[in-house]
Amino acid sequence: MSLWMEQTMETAQPMTKEFPRFGECAFAPSDVIEFPWGIPGFPNLRRWLALSVESQGSFVWLQSIEDVQIALPTADPYFMFDDYDPKLPAYAAEALGIESPGDFTLLCVLVVTENAHEMTMNLFAPVVVNLRTRKARQIVLENSGFSVRQPVPRKTESEAAR
Amino acid sequence: MLVLSRKINQSIMIGDNIRIVVVAVDRDQVKLGIEAPRDVSVHRSEIYEEIQRTNQTAAASPGSPAGKPEAVPAKLASSLRPRPARKKSSDEH
Repeated sequence: MSLWMEQTMETAQPMTKEFPRFGECAFAPSDVIEFPWGIPGFPNLRRWLALSVESQGSFVWLQSIEDVQIALPTADPYFMFDDYDPKLPAYAAEALGIESPGDFTLLCVLVVTENAHEMTMNLFAPVVVNLRTRKARQIVLENSGFSVRQPVPRKTESEAAR
Repeated sequence: MLVLSRKINQSIMIGDNIRIVVVAVDRDQVKLGIEAPRDVSVHRSEIYEEIQRTNQTAAASPGSPAGKPEAVPAKLASSLRPRPARKKSSDEH
């Protein structure tokens, strides 16, 4: 195999993977979001995709590539709490190499009840994604007063979901 | 589990760059000081465990927030973008 072929394989080859929740998804290596520290509760799952479903508006599913059964519903907290403006702890900026506010985005984990009547958002431990490096970490806002299970108001929820 | 006895102001090292100092002891409460590199997160265990539980519950959420159990076609999220600059006024409404 020529060098050119190898390079093409590494940089451009799209991959596909079958997920029980979403069916087959195609993605490039550059689409993978890496969690070098894992995610609390899933410490060994390092490689994830951010997927969206057309009918679900602002929801972003973090889908594990390594364990196809695991997907976490999240959303940009701005859509539901537009005054949410946490201060990133030094360890988060340091760990993820974040230099300016334009470097990152936040995703907060949603818990949806069985009948989908109620939904809560974890504002206390947002997932910080460095958009330049695609490295991410769920960080803890110690002493911030934010809730791990902040109820999402119904109205905002339906606006965001539709 | 390794168990060590320490007095007030004595410390232990974990690896080369994490130091834990016993700052004060008052009956059944111990105050600890922790020196760790800036990229190391330090939390009380029960907080971390609550986040673990919440993530595991979230992963068991219904097939979709709309409650559909079957596979729902998904595409790569295109909406990941930096947070907009803070606005003081409420001109978004």
